[in-house]
Order: sequence, then C-alpha cells, then structure tokens
Amino acid sequence: MDYLINISILFSIYAILGLSLNLLVGYGGLLSISHAAFYGIGAYTTAILLTKTNFGFLSSVILGALLAGIISLLIGLVLSKFKGDYYALVSLGFNIIIFSIFLNWQSLTKGPFGIAGIPKPELLGVDFSDHFSFLILVLIFLALIYFISSFIVNSSFGRVLKAIREDEVAISVFGYNTFYFKLIIFIIAAMIASIAGSLYAVYISFIDPSSFQVTESVFILAIIILGGLANLRGSILGALFLIFLPELLRFIGFPLEIAAQMRQVIYGLILVLLMIYKPQGLIGEYKF
Amino acid sequence: MNVIPQLILNSIIAGSIYSLIAISFSLIYNVTKFFNLAHGVLAIIGGYTVFYFAQILNWNIYIAITFGIVFAGFIGLILDKIIYLPLRRRKASNMILLVASLGIMTALQALLSILFTNEFRTLSRNINEQKIFQLLNGSLTQTQVIIIFVAILITIFIVLLLFKTQFGKAIRAISDDDEVAKIVGINTDKIISYVFFLGSAIAGIAGILMGFDIGIEPTMGLNLLLKGIVAVIIGGIGNVYGSVLGAFVLGFAENFSMWKIAGEWKDAVAFILLIIFLLFKPRGIMNK
Repeated sequence: MDYLINISILFSIYAILGLSLNLLVGYGGLLSISHAAFYGIGAYTTAILLTKTNFGFLSSVILGALLAGIISLLIGLVLSKFKGDYYALVSLGFNIIIFSIFLNWQSLTKGPFGIAGIPKPELLGVDFSDHFSFLILVLIFLALIYFISSFIVNSSFGRVLKAIREDEVAISVFGYNTFYFKLIIFIIAAMIASIAGSLYAVYISFIDPSSFQVTESVFILAIIILGGLANLRGSILGALFLIFLPELLRFIGFPLEIAAQMRQVIYGLILVLLMIYKPQGLIGEYKF
Repeated sequence: MNVIPQLILNSIIAGSIYSLIAISFSLIYNVTKFFNLAHGVLAIIGGYTVFYFAQILNWNIYIAITFGIVFAGFIGLILDKIIYLPLRRRKASNMILLVASLGIMTALQALLSILFTNEFRTLSRNINEQKIFQLLNGSLTQTQVIIIFVAILITIFIVLLLFKTQFGKAIRAISDDDEVAKIVGINTDKIISYVFFLGSAIAGIAGILMGFDIGIEPTMGLNLLLKGIVAVIIGGIGNVYGSVLGAFVLGFAENFSMWKIAGEWKDAVAFILLIIFLLFKPRGIMNK
C-alpha cells in the first residue's frame, strides 16, 4: 500500500510538471528542453530555506516560484530571439547552465553531495509527514494547477497563444504583441515547475543535482508528447503511463539499478516511435 | 610557474577533439538540416566498442580501434535507415526529427549504462608509461599528440572529399538544395546514408581518442556533442573551416576561463559563448 502511495505521489508531481510544460510546448508551440532547471530551482529553494532558515513550507514554495519567475523572465528574454529548433537548442543550453550552478555553487547547494534532511512540510497547522496525508496535499496542488491551467488555456490569453502557435505573423498583424504572450507563458510554466520541485524536495527529503539534468527535461517532454500536446488531460495520461508502466519492470524482476536505466530506454524509444507513427500523441491536438 | 604555455596546449587538444565532433556533426547537419542530438552518443559508442574488444576480450588494440570506428559509423547508418529516412520521406518538420534524435540519445545512453555501468572507463592500460613530450614549457602525452595529428588529418581528408571528389560535389549539392539535387539525378537518400556512416565514424574516432586521453562514461555524449554544435554555430553553419575555427575558439575560451574561474564552469562558459554569438553574430565568424 505504501508503495502505491509512493508511486501516486510521484505521478502527481510529474503530472504537475507535464501540465506546465504542455502550456508552453503544446499551447505555445515553443519546444523548451529546460523544464528540469525550473523544477530544480523550486526544489533547491525549498531545500535550502527549510534546512538553513526558519521559513515555513508554504513561504518556501512561494519564494521558489518567485525566483523561478525572475530567472525565467531573464531566460525568456533571450529565448524570445529564437524560433523552432534554435529555441530548443538554446533552452537546452540554459538547462545545462543551471545544472552546472546546482553542481558547482557548493557553498549554497553542497554540489554533488546534495542536500539531505529536508523536513516534512507543515501547512496551516496541519502536519503532512506521513505519506498518505502528503499524497492528499500533492493531489490538492495538482487539482489547483489543473484548474489554473484550464483557466489559462480557455481564456482569451490562451486562444491568442494558440493562434500565435499556428501563425505568428497573422496574429501580429491584428495588433497583438506576440513577444509578451510567449514570454508570459514561459514564466508561468517555469513557476509551476518550481512548485513541483518544492513538493519533490520535501517528499524525497534529499536532493542532488542529478535529478535536474537534461534527461529529466526530456522525460517531462516525453510525458506530454505521449499524452498529447495542447491537451491538459493528455499530460495527466502521459504521466500515468510513464510513471506506472516502468514500475512493472520491477515486478518482472529487474534489479533496481537496471530498472532505472530501462525506464530511460523505454521513454527514449517511446519518443522515437511516437515521432514516426503518431506525433500528436494519444489524445493530442497539436503536433510539431 | 608560467601556466600560459600549458593552457595553450590544453586549448589545442580540446579544440582538436571539438573540431572532430563539429566537422562530423555539420557534415550530417548540412545534408539533413536538423539538430541530430544522438550524434554525441555515437562517439561514446565508438569508445565503448574499443573498450569491449580491447579490454574485456583482450583483442589486438588496432583491430579493436578499427572495429570501434566502423561500428559507430554502422550505428549511424542504421539510425538513418530505420528512423531518419522514413521521417524525411514523410517531410517531417525538423522539430520532429530533433525530438526523435533526443529519444534515440536517451535510449542509447541508458543502454550503455546497462551494459557497461556508469563507471568512468579509460582505454589506455598503461597510463603512467605513456611518453611525455615537452613543448614550449608545457607537456603533452603521446595520446594528445596523436589527437592533434588525427584532427589535422581528418580535416584535410574532409576538405579534399568535399571539394575534390564527385561524392563531395553531391554532398554540397544536397546541402544547397536537396530538391534540385534530386532533379539533376543525385540519389540523395543514398548519399545521405553514406554521410551518416562517415559522420558517425568520425564521431567514433573522437570518442575513442577521448577514451585514451581522459576516459569515457555513458552520459558524456550529450555534452561533447553540444560543444561540437557550439563550435559549428560560432564558426558559421555550413562552413568546414568555420567549424574548425569555432572548435578552437571554444577550446581556448574554455581553457583560458579556467585561469580565472574554476574548471567546473567549463560547460556554462561554452553555452554563454553560444548565446552571445547567437544574439550578436548569429551567422558565425566565417559567414557573411
């Protein structure tokens, strides 16, 4: 039972990551390979604030999201100069730069040793230290973020965003400043990813840079492409598949170390097969 | 002690490795026009093939090296035949090709980890018995001298191939305009598959040389490739001399930055250089 709760918590965290990346990649049409960086910013902010200061969990989530917002604003300004595959390449570069900050700013992040002993969260006087109550907390966050995301995509902002994705020139002729739309969605996606990172940090209670590498960004990308771009339910579906299916490998009897690598082999192959046979994913409404 | 001579030598060695990756990447890029992110893993596959035959099976080292180069080329050829060619035939966008290559990279990298573990492997058995050469107050190992010579030879070979042979003419025609190339009777699919073999084999050479010099691990491929891409963009896409020049600019920038800041920031330096170039001189040094 505890095992199932554990997997469900991970699923919820990745569903949040998927939802936020889908806003950017699916609705905005902007292929970013940097999501793990913002996920990491949230995780590190929460880890550092909770282990070194008296900040509470909620304020660490908010500060993490604000920090991710500021950094994504700066990165988004640079990215706004690029399109298509160059956008993807430069965003990947930023993932590597931020990863190397996690790895090398040792006085703050403890580098490769990571930060251990991150306390379990307490929120509004309620203690979330056992796994079941933490699952409830994560599900509340997931529901909130799903609600916010669907509000965004159904608003006029979301409609303009989709229109920009389809034909940027036409929509700018109508007088919309496409630059702001693309920048704002990048910041929103980054801030939500940071919240997922905060949740991850308090759940695992130990973080190190290896969780925020480029391969993690690719994994989140695989979730939303499998589920379907520009479809929020698709991101949930994608997270469901890619978190639960590889767990079956463990039951077949692969050792833990190999199972982790097999997971990578599987989602790598899924990406390739999707690109060849079904680039719009399971229930997607947009393809590159 | 004066460190400058050693820094210069280190920059030249780094530049030589980068130029092999840059040249081979841009060979493939020029005929396919997409960022093939799986290219770096092929270098590492070359290295591990040599490791397998020379150190596990104890074969003659020269036969093992030949095997490693051919095998890397062969994998590149297979990937083109079963994945990239079908995608090109369907006129898939270069974003789809990029995502597919990202999937291939993830899967192959994890496969290497399963087969050889994540441990660092070096190909030279007698690292302390290597001859050391003194040059300009700095020192070079025998392997490093070989690296520099191989880089020079491969560059000359590629320049001759591109500008003095029928095959090279066909490659240049395809990079100019593959539709027109097809119309004048060039079998573009066949030429492109040869280019994949050749490019991947050269990447394999780079991986093998790295294996002898500093050692290899499965996750190294992406960073190595990104250095190659940075070099290609700095130098100017589509220009052989530009790629080599870019590789050395990058080698010098990385090594001389270590003079002032710690070496771990190398990757960040490479990407900051890339972003600066993309923002202010997007066509590179050599292109007008």
